[in-house]
Amino acid sequence: MSLAVLLSTMRVQMKQSFARPMFRFCLIANPILNTILLYEMFRGSGEENFMAYVVLGAGLMGLWGCICFSSAGDINRERYSGTLALIFATPVSFPVIILGKIIGNTVMSLLTLGISLVTAVVLYRVPLTLESPLYFLLALLAAVLAFVVISSVVACLLTLSRKTELYMNCIEVPVVLLCGFVFPVSVLPEAVRVFSYALSPTYAVELLRLSVWGVNDPAVFWQKLGILLGLTALYAILSALLYRKIDRRVRVTATLEVA
Amino acid sequence: MDSIIEVQELKREYVTRHGFWKREKRVVKAVDGISFAVRRGEIFGLLGQNGAGKTTTIKMLTTLLAPTGGTCKVLGWSTFGEEKRIRARINFIFGGEMGVYRRLSARDNLRYFSNLYLIPRKEQDVRIQKILGLVELAERADDLVETYSKGMIQRLQIARGLINDPEILFMDEPTVGLDPVGARMLRDIIRRLKEDGKTVLLTTHNLAEVEELCDRLVVINKGKLIASGTPAEIKADSETLEDAYVKLIEGVSA
Ligand SMILES: Nc1ncnc2c1ncn2[C@@H]1O[C@H](COP(=O)(O)OP(=O)(O)OP(=O)(O)O)[C@@H](O)[C@H]1O
Ligand SMILES: [Mg+2]
Repeated sequence: MSLAVLLSTMRVQMKQSFARPMFRFCLIANPILNTILLYEMFRGSGEENFMAYVVLGAGLMGLWGCICFSSAGDINRERYSGTLALIFATPVSFPVIILGKIIGNTVMSLLTLGISLVTAVVLYRVPLTLESPLYFLLALLAAVLAFVVISSVVACLLTLSRKTELYMNCIEVPVVLLCGFVFPVSVLPEAVRVFSYALSPTYAVELLRLSVWGVNDPAVFWQKLGILLGLTALYAILSALLYRKIDRRVRVTATLEVA
Repeated sequence: MDSIIEVQELKREYVTRHGFWKREKRVVKAVDGISFAVRRGEIFGLLGQNGAGKTTTIKMLTTLLAPTGGTCKVLGWSTFGEEKRIRARINFIFGGEMGVYRRLSARDNLRYFSNLYLIPRKEQDVRIQKILGLVELAERADDLVETYSKGMIQRLQIARGLINDPEILFMDEPTVGLDPVGARMLRDIIRRLKEDGKTVLLTTHNLAEVEELCDRLVVINKGKLIASGTPAEIKADSETLEDAYVKLIEGVSA
């Protein structure tokens, strides 16, 4: 039964998100613009393979933007439209619904990667190579998992507050920078890197880039993948714990609805 | 067990903060120690002025809000802590244009909520079609809700509230925005629910409606109970229920 709920929530979520012009902008226009921006920035950098920083970077920025603005924003949209209370009061457990929404959005947001790829190919006809496609596929799956879990932590926290919009604006860009979406984390000061390596997307991005360049030493790949999955499991546990607290908390503080 | 809803000394306070620099805490006693019981199969009215605490009471009964004091039991279970026992067996309808997915069709809205209420797939289509007919939305069922009028959205709300065939239906001003025909349709639905042995708790500002429908009612004012009984008892020797109600309210404000 939970699977049916998950799937129908995904479907409803995708329909609703796609109907919003802002989401379509994030999904389609954002990766195109980011690809152009990053291409111009990397043109004289000496980096030959534009796949790693330009296509992947722009795609990931778009992906994260969609996730941030939809997964987080949706809680608020549902709060203001009065449906948050309705879905909360159904017999289905609330995290399953939230998870369905997040998976729906994330799956749809993967389109950004394709769009930035097409943009780069069509506009610039630059060399794009993907050295280890199988590793890349694996890395992509792990990345999706990591993003889904991270969004569920964020969504959980945001259920509590009505200032959701503010917070999601606050986390979007820092994650892009801290997790090295468009440059290697090694350029960051050491003190900042501590945060980078506590965030799971950092490893996801490194795995993806590694497979673009080619996995010469599989041990390195598996090790990073292990860390990524470990961190993701940790986040998942955190989100489960948080949810339990929040399930009661929203009813005490009356934040399911506006007024 | 005769009482299907049991409320004793129920309280709910809201804490709000005001001001930007000096965060001043203000406590609103929205519900301030009310008690009542509803029997299975009754149509029960909850009356009171704007801000009396009706919606707050309904939210506590529907497992959406934690009480700050007293007991609040539905079907014998506490609405805060044992809500899992209750949720599949009740439903609620809030008046107004909220609480629907505007970018989906009515049918998609209902299909989604039937999934959330764990209604088997095989039953869904038949049940949805029947309910759509009941609220007279069948013809527009596949149009997006954002193209609906206020009253049509309200009908969809009613349909959603019926989707799990609830034992108890809570309604907060369900006739707001309905045309006279729609309002009568809703009253007919409520009466039919009663014939099927269902329990209905409703709030409304339309006293004629209360007189027509309710078996018993309570009047609350500023979070406190000021009267309870059958419409006839409350009316006593006043001409209409409305006269009696106005006297009651003036009596406590004086
Ligand atoms: N989330 C909230 N935060 C702070 N105060 C609230 C909140 N919800 C309701 N209140 C206050 O609680 C009191 C009771 O409100 P409630 O909505 O229960 O009244 P009501 O009887 O439903 O009124 P109406 O007939 O206007 O719908 C009001 O003073 C209201 O301002
Ligand atoms: Mg109200």
